[in-house]
Amino acid sequence: MPGRPLALVTRRRVLQLGLGTGAVALLGGGGLTLLRGSAPDVANLKRLSPQQFRTLSALARTHLPAGGPFALGADDAQLARAFDAYLEGEPPAHVRDVQRALHLVEFGPILFDRRLKTFSHLPPAEQLQHWLGWGQSDLLLRRQVWWGFAKFLGLVFYDRPEVWPHIGYPGPSLERLPT
Amino acid sequence: MSTLTDCALTAVPAHIDCDICVIGSGYGGATAARVLAEAGRDVVVLEEGGDYTGKLLTQRDAAMYDQLYIQRGGATTEDMGISLLAGRVLGGGGVINACDVVPAEDAIWRMWQTRFGLKDFGPEAMAPFNQQGLADLGARPMRADQINRNNAILRQGASALHWRGEVMEHNRAEHCKGLGTCLVGCPLDAKQNARMILIPKAISAGARVFCRARAVRIEAGSSEQKRVQCRSLDRRGYHEQQGFEVRARIVILAANPLGTAPLLLRSGLGNSQVGRHLSLQPQVPLLALFPQPVDAFLGIPQAYAITQFATCDETRGHSGFRIEGIMGTPGIVGSLVPQAGSAGKELMTHWRNIAASLLLLPDESVGRIVLGAAGVAVVRYELTAEWRGRARQAIRAGARAYFAAGAQVVVLPTVPPMLLKSEADLARVDALSLAPATLPLLSAHQQGGVRMAAREQDGAADPDGRVYGARDVYVMDSSGFPTTASSHTMAPILAVAHRQAARLAQGG
Repeated sequence: MPGRPLALVTRRRVLQLGLGTGAVALLGGGGLTLLRGSAPDVANLKRLSPQQFRTLSALARTHLPAGGPFALGADDAQLARAFDAYLEGEPPAHVRDVQRALHLVEFGPILFDRRLKTFSHLPPAEQLQHWLGWGQSDLLLRRQVWWGFAKFLGLVFYDRPEVWPHIGYPGPSLERLPT
Repeated sequence: MSTLTDCALTAVPAHIDCDICVIGSGYGGATAARVLAEAGRDVVVLEEGGDYTGKLLTQRDAAMYDQLYIQRGGATTEDMGISLLAGRVLGGGGVINACDVVPAEDAIWRMWQTRFGLKDFGPEAMAPFNQQGLADLGARPMRADQINRNNAILRQGASALHWRGEVMEHNRAEHCKGLGTCLVGCPLDAKQNARMILIPKAISAGARVFCRARAVRIEAGSSEQKRVQCRSLDRRGYHEQQGFEVRARIVILAANPLGTAPLLLRSGLGNSQVGRHLSLQPQVPLLALFPQPVDAFLGIPQAYAITQFATCDETRGHSGFRIEGIMGTPGIVGSLVPQAGSAGKELMTHWRNIAASLLLLPDESVGRIVLGAAGVAVVRYELTAEWRGRARQAIRAGARAYFAAGAQVVVLPTVPPMLLKSEADLARVDALSLAPATLPLLSAHQQGGVRMAAREQDGAADPDGRVYGARDVYVMDSSGFPTTASSHTMAPILAVAHRQAARLAQGG
């Protein structure tokens, strides 16, 4: 059964293992130069480092890209900023888990796809293909990471009023009640 | 002095003395507080969440899941396979539930009598407590005009297949307008829940209620006077602020299994059964696309259940499954979209044409709550092979009902989504592994963890809810349930809490 051997390993432990593997990959893959990436505004971050924020921004853009059925995407809704702000209210252990998960995502192409580029450096189509691999993986840890980010990003994105016209939601019903 | 105090806004005395300290303000805690305050006891209620009523309930997902649910809506089992939904708000789960009233069947009370030695829990003995609970709720059947299209579709499918089903009873007041956002609270305060009915009565009878007050630990749990160590929380409930202590002779735990059992464990109270025998009743979400708009977000979200496959007897308790119509606001539905990129957005553009349901599958009490690092509760739960088999059966049945009602595609939110286009596709369901985090399962009806049983080796509390190994520490929420009581826990929690509180008020 996919993932079953890892089912009894705690999430924290798995993420720690993942981080360890990521560190090895970092050293073997050319060091810190790999951690540059495209450059969203990283000023005034609450809990994430600039690199973690860059990874998250790329991930959010991959999960909910601009264009396609409607123009709005993750950047329009500032999903990465929302996530960073959300972490301000989380216990330190949860924040560390998220930070470790973002490291894993960044090094995912190297660790799981034998690529020589980190996630932030992949072209958008390859980012999407790689990210979908997390949701379909036999490895429980990768599926956990997929759903962890997918749930947050989906919830915040579709809660935004500017998105509602594109899906046909007329907005909170109280405002539509006849007075 | 009768009060409702928000500890985030008002300084709390370092010590509060009372006769009875109730931890948790949902149906169990609020019933206990009301019954005991009306019996003349000096009662203090502690609630970790804030007080949300009226227009504070904004119908917006991000803000409301953040404020009304435990762990800001992000709680899961340890393997992240099941989202754990429970209230963290004054009034507890009744503020965020879908208002379904499904009392425990007589077979369940009999099973608890015979299997767990709860000899006074027979159907006849429990009937008056059940009636009291239903009266608190103002429970009544829904009217035909309150069934929205999303639920009518399920009824249509069941009817075409000659399957049994029922329109559920609910606890909505007459002024319910079917706003459709029950799962993030009702801004019209049309739910006859613990916040609207029981807490005001408890306060009128003299209870003092503190919200944004976290009970951290119970000290001297085997002594005459217990000390409940508490922390006030900030306005958003994120961080602890000031410490204070509630001194009480009796402590009643009613903080949901996800709060009650961890508090006992952190306090070093109770026997080795604490945390065991947890039931999560995992639910499977199922979507269907129809050629015409369903507008499932309009009207009462949950009204009709296909009960053809649900069974209940006094040997096995609940088994089989129910199929119930449900719909949430766009955020929560968007969070379950199993696709990334444009394909995920594409699915949501069909929002108006989506019908949605939950497959409710009772379970054995196979879960366990333990303490992790820094005393954080960890929920361990592994789906049994029997449950997985029933889940596949339920998915096939749900899909058949939708096809019978005219669905074009049935969508199971695996990654990538399993798209079923006709009955010929149903065989594909057999291949589902249902391994953790392959499908976003939900749990909204947690039960057990401090199981009541006549013998200490079988449970963590006696039939009156008194925790073994502690002195005058009780459980009065679903934590004490020996097994799954019902597909929806609101009515059974009220019935049991009425019984236990009445016994305690009588000095039992």
